[in-house]
Amino acid sequence: MIPLLRYQSALLLRSHRWLPPVLLYAALLAVGVQGGGPILDSYGVAAFGLLPLAAWLCRICVTSEPPAARSCTAAAAGPGKAHLAAVLTGSLSATGLALVGTAYVSLVADPHASDHRTAVPLLAAACAGLLTGLVCVLLGTAVGALCNWPVLRSTGWSILSGLLAALLLLVGGASPANAAVSGLVTGSAHGTVNLPWLPLLAGLLIAGAATALACRLSSRRI
Amino acid sequence: MTAGGPMRLDGVGRRYGARGPWVLRNIDLDLPRRSLVRVEGRNGSGKSTLLRILAGIDAPSKGRVTGRPRSAYVPERFPAALPFTAVGYLTHLGRIHGLRGPDAARRATDWLERFGAGGHARTPLAELSKGTSQKVALSQALLADPELLVLDEAWTGLDPAARDVLDRAVAERVAAGGTVVFVDHDPRRLAGAADARYRVTGDGLDRLPAGAVADAGSKGAGTDGHLAADDGALPSGPRAIIEAEAPGAARHLAARDLAELPGRPYVTRSPDGTTARLTVAAAHSDALLRALLAAHPPWHIRAVSQAPAGPSAATPGPPAGTAAVSPTSDDENRYP
Repeated sequence: MIPLLRYQSALLLRSHRWLPPVLLYAALLAVGVQGGGPILDSYGVAAFGLLPLAAWLCRICVTSEPPAARSCTAAAAGPGKAHLAAVLTGSLSATGLALVGTAYVSLVADPHASDHRTAVPLLAAACAGLLTGLVCVLLGTAVGALCNWPVLRSTGWSILSGLLAALLLLVGGASPANAAVSGLVTGSAHGTVNLPWLPLLAGLLIAGAATALACRLSSRRI
Repeated sequence: MTAGGPMRLDGVGRRYGARGPWVLRNIDLDLPRRSLVRVEGRNGSGKSTLLRILAGIDAPSKGRVTGRPRSAYVPERFPAALPFTAVGYLTHLGRIHGLRGPDAARRATDWLERFGAGGHARTPLAELSKGTSQKVALSQALLADPELLVLDEAWTGLDPAARDVLDRAVAERVAAGGTVVFVDHDPRRLAGAADARYRVTGDGLDRLPAGAVADAGSKGAGTDGHLAADDGALPSGPRAIIEAEAPGAARHLAARDLAELPGRPYVTRSPDGTTARLTVAAAHSDALLRALLAAHPPWHIRAVSQAPAGPSAATPGPPAGTAAVSPTSDDENRYP
């Protein structure tokens, strides 16, 4: 699995296709996270952007190989394993950006609640911010796995359904990502830190199931 | 998933989509080790689908594949717009095949040089010509010494020298105990070297007679001097003739020793019993020579010569070019 991950990350880094999503995420942080803003709200903004970012990075990774090269990799490693490596590379790179985003917010934001008077413990807040970011990365990974090859094969449908799914997961009441971000925002209003363990568990299950389905289909499509 | 037994397909079927027509149905196929298998069929007959199932890229919709060893696949065209140099890509693929990085890089360079593309080792893949891209695709598969090598019209776009290199590389894989399955539009490709031929017809698979001239008269170690392997037969197509002194006396050679030799040569011996004459499909000649010289104790090579393509499979008879390379008429009538 390590050689496959090395191969996929080299493909991702050298293709420069990571630039647009990463620049957009940087822009979101620059605009949405104001210096001195309430820290939990800022973590919410940073996490919010990670869901479409993870979906986009996964799309880049699972579409980076032309079909001929994909066949060669699949014969060498097994198609399911090769596809898993692509999804994991997208997911792990989004996780790296989640760490960067969390660190940035921790440095610039004000460790107080929305009223700027109630102090919020920085370490607990950073943990809640990172876990919420991971929930969003996991759901973004699920979107990336389900809305691209081999589940959907046309570029148009992939992008359209990916955007729609990311939007629904961000605003939908039943979505774990929405629940985790809402937890941060309500915590900011009350000056409390809520760790999103339940959304994280749900995110892990959803991402795992979506990736497993995509990997299973990878040897059953052209 | 290297299993002990040989690779098998049991009742394999494949269709695209839940209600699509069956491309292949009820395919039963054994792929023994140390064998070269040719698959034929019309365009769009399902050859490529069968090859993709064999290589493990596609899963069968029905039936099962067991005992697939370490595999490698070469597609017909390899327009890989990947952001790597040739050696960079091959090193990654070598690692995926289970090699260590430096070993993978060294083998990548070796194979590119063997195919005459050593000068392009540092060229970005996107800038390579069609033929050189194909050499990268071949190196990708060959550098890891795969136990199963699947070639889907892999000769397409290669220059004649590289085609010969590939022919010999295929023979080496088989000699090393591997299984090679190939499709090629050229019916003379590795003529006489294939151990089995199959034709995809409709959604089924027919076994054809192997590409060797039938040799009905000499089953077993006959008195005519022919030391038969299992299915002692003179290969059709271009052949090489190796005259060699066996370790000990040639008369003691058992059929089973000969069956182990690369390319399963057709063997006759001289009247005094010291020299054996081994006729083998030209593609196997290097592998056979290597095996003879590396044997313990080694054979002594007296002469190596080339015989032009023999008679067609329908008319068994002495090879056309024998007279030119055979100095003694004694040897001549040792052929059946």
